[in-house]
Amino acid sequence: MGALRLYWTLVSVRLHGQMQYRLPFLLDITATFLGSFVDFVALAGVFSRFRSVGGWSLGEVALLYGLAEIPFALKELSLCGYDYDFFAPLVRQGQLDQMLLRPLSLPMQLVAAEFPLRRLGRLSQAVLVFALGLHLTPIAWSAAKLLYLPIVGLSALAFFAAIDITGSTACFWTVERLEVFSLFSYGGAAMLSFPMHIYHVWLRRFFTFVVPAALVVYYPALFLLDKPDPFGLPRLLSFLAPLAGLGTLAAACAFWRFGVRHYQSTGT
Amino acid sequence: MVPGVRTSPAALWAAASTYLALAGTNLRRQLTYRAANLAGLITNLFFGALRAYVLIALFGAREQVAGYSVRDAVTYSGITQALMSCVAIFGWWDMIRSIRTGEVATDLSRPVDYFWYWCALDFGRGVGQLALRGLPLVALYVLAYRITSPPTLWHWLALPISLLLGLFVSFAWRFLVSLTGFWTRDATGIGRLAFMLAYFFSGLLMPLAFFPDWAASLLRLTPFSAMMYLPSEVYLGVVRGPGLAAALAVQALWAVALYALARVVLAAGVRHLVLQGG
Amino acid sequence: MTSIVVEDLRKEFRVYAHRAGGLGALRSLVSRDVRLVRAVDGLCFSIEAGELVGYLGPNGAGKSTTIKMLTGILVPTSGTVTVNGRVPWRERLAHVARIGAVFGQRNTLWWDLPVIESFDLLRHIYHIPPERYRENVRQFTELLGLEEFLRTPVRSLSLGQLMRSNLAAALLHDPEILFLDEPTIGLDVVAKERIRNFVRQINRERGTTVVLTTHDLSDVGKLCERVLMIDHGRLLFDGQLSELQQRFGGERELVVDFAEEYEEPAVEGARIVAREGPRVTYRFGQGEVGALEIIGRLSARYRLLDLSVREPEIEATVRRIYEERLLDRRA
Repeated sequence: MGALRLYWTLVSVRLHGQMQYRLPFLLDITATFLGSFVDFVALAGVFSRFRSVGGWSLGEVALLYGLAEIPFALKELSLCGYDYDFFAPLVRQGQLDQMLLRPLSLPMQLVAAEFPLRRLGRLSQAVLVFALGLHLTPIAWSAAKLLYLPIVGLSALAFFAAIDITGSTACFWTVERLEVFSLFSYGGAAMLSFPMHIYHVWLRRFFTFVVPAALVVYYPALFLLDKPDPFGLPRLLSFLAPLAGLGTLAAACAFWRFGVRHYQSTGT
Repeated sequence: MVPGVRTSPAALWAAASTYLALAGTNLRRQLTYRAANLAGLITNLFFGALRAYVLIALFGAREQVAGYSVRDAVTYSGITQALMSCVAIFGWWDMIRSIRTGEVATDLSRPVDYFWYWCALDFGRGVGQLALRGLPLVALYVLAYRITSPPTLWHWLALPISLLLGLFVSFAWRFLVSLTGFWTRDATGIGRLAFMLAYFFSGLLMPLAFFPDWAASLLRLTPFSAMMYLPSEVYLGVVRGPGLAAALAVQALWAVALYALARVVLAAGVRHLVLQGG
Repeated sequence: MTSIVVEDLRKEFRVYAHRAGGLGALRSLVSRDVRLVRAVDGLCFSIEAGELVGYLGPNGAGKSTTIKMLTGILVPTSGTVTVNGRVPWRERLAHVARIGAVFGQRNTLWWDLPVIESFDLLRHIYHIPPERYRENVRQFTELLGLEEFLRTPVRSLSLGQLMRSNLAAALLHDPEILFLDEPTIGLDVVAKERIRNFVRQINRERGTTVVLTTHDLSDVGKLCERVLMIDHGRLLFDGQLSELQQRFGGERELVVDFAEEYEEPAVEGARIVAREGPRVTYRFGQGEVGALEIIGRLSARYRLLDLSVREPEIEATVRRIYEERLLDRRA
């Protein structure tokens, strides 16, 4: 409980700072909203000519998009501290040492370090697109689906967090600026917004069995939409989301702890 | 071209060599950002492939849509990715920053024309990006996909003209957006919105021709389509004969229009700055 | 009661040499030149509670590495460190809650917050009891003159104001030990004086142990009685500052006010370095001839009105020690 209160104390400082200047703040959120919304608008705009993406209707793609984007946007909001672009300078400029001098755990400090409200723009457009998808697509709702939906969302959140944490841990070994890590994050979310069967078979296999991205978005979507897997893989895969999400998160955290130990042995 | 300076051949040549030098400096600078360029190239490749997959899935069994074959569409995804960084479609902050930090005062007091100064710098940057990220990306695309190439000699000749015009139009737009900083000091917020606008209408996400007919014809007439989309159409050969000439004409018209507008706004902006005390 | 105990502390770093050129870059992928750098090589010392100790050494001597190990940021290669009975890196949270640290020209506060709000955040983070917090803020504000910028955002502060704020922040939670790493670097004389007075007062009134790492030897001269000198990772000297001066002081100065202006008041064993009317400054080396001798010789020949003996500046002493390697293999 004390930890939660402390988190709130630290984060509210960041929130106040951002909301100080109303107009730039609103402009920022609008720009972020529109910037991420254009992707879907472009797809919708051309849909009159094509009617489907690999057999999926616009509404179904919208749902898939929401299932990927909402957890991603939530991660962007709450776990900004582990963003590669945010974390790498901390290590390089020695602020990480400052954090080690405070009687707080590193994860707590990083998680409370920033809460970029402008990313609400991305979150709101993801919710909007998901709502659109719900409106356009008839889903046979059941208790199981309703219960599973939030679990899927949290699993995807854990998965995206794991990607960020892994990327940031790399900072402990290399001083070089490896922008490629941002690609894993954003590129991954973009890729998951479309049904996996449009991609090359090796990509599909990789993102199902090696880095289980498909297990936290695509396969649960199949379950939600009552669609069969085009490749005849067992229906069980749709229910492995929590395992995939928590598993990758646990692995990422272990890697992180290893990285921190390494940092404390070698310094900067 | 340079207001207030007598344009003798010698003077023109002197000015031109200055601007060439500026462009060259910026071009060479691009060469030093090896790691960043490599990362950018990988990003371009990833997103290009992603868009290619989506386009292929959209086409399904169709052979032609709005004059594009599947091969055309895949090629399109590569060309647009290759041109992205050249026309700085996600934004260009150098001038905005210089205004915010006050460097603009120094820039304005130099014996070079403010517009052509930044234009020269941007051309250096753009050509550098084209060479370092654009061409390698196209090469990678050749290896990964069966891409098309310009169908006729006319298209080959028109392509560099179209690219240069596209870069110029893109620069003029970014220059205009950055000029708002003369009034608001920090144009970052406006910049984000304006650059996002260009991004949306640029055709990066979907070929503009794929939108409903009424929308597509309108979209092709904006300055934003002149930056990347029209050059892509020239490359693909989707426009032919009079259509090719029309595409170049649209680009040229926007180049002239935006240049004229930039001149007017710049003059007003300098007056405003001087009155404010810089 | 001993605050800090360091035994046979060692820290080695692996430094990878990058080979130049394209071919070298390729070769680097296969095998790299590894050099073992001994930043800290067998340090042994202990510091009692309430001491104010100076930690000297040239650049690259291993000072910051030592401090990092004492604060728990860095893990040693071998050896032991005990601070207040704890091993710093093993019990980081507990250890860090009882120490304070200030790094010169670096900032520990939140950039966009007013100073007082940064303090308030620290109150939460360190679980400082409200009355204790209020009392400390009041006292530090008064002693360091923080009143005028207490509500100013940290990013708008001058360096002097920044360091004063950081110093106050480091002590809000009543730490037992205060680590100061070049706290006065880049500051003007007035600011330096202020900070020195503050540190001295804190050390005397609260018994806070202070470890002061510095290049500024006037800091040391004004604050520390005990100094630890380190070079190449080894402890060269551990003792009183006055002892350091006595043993390695180098030349001393004798300033004599004569009754009249003499032409050439030479004396054996000392040389004239300055003249200003009847005032003559002599320099004489340590050991050869004592000050008393020289005064005796002078008064035998001339009429003296007044005189004073000046100890050498600490800077000069320490510079001598480094340059002439006076402490290698000694102490």
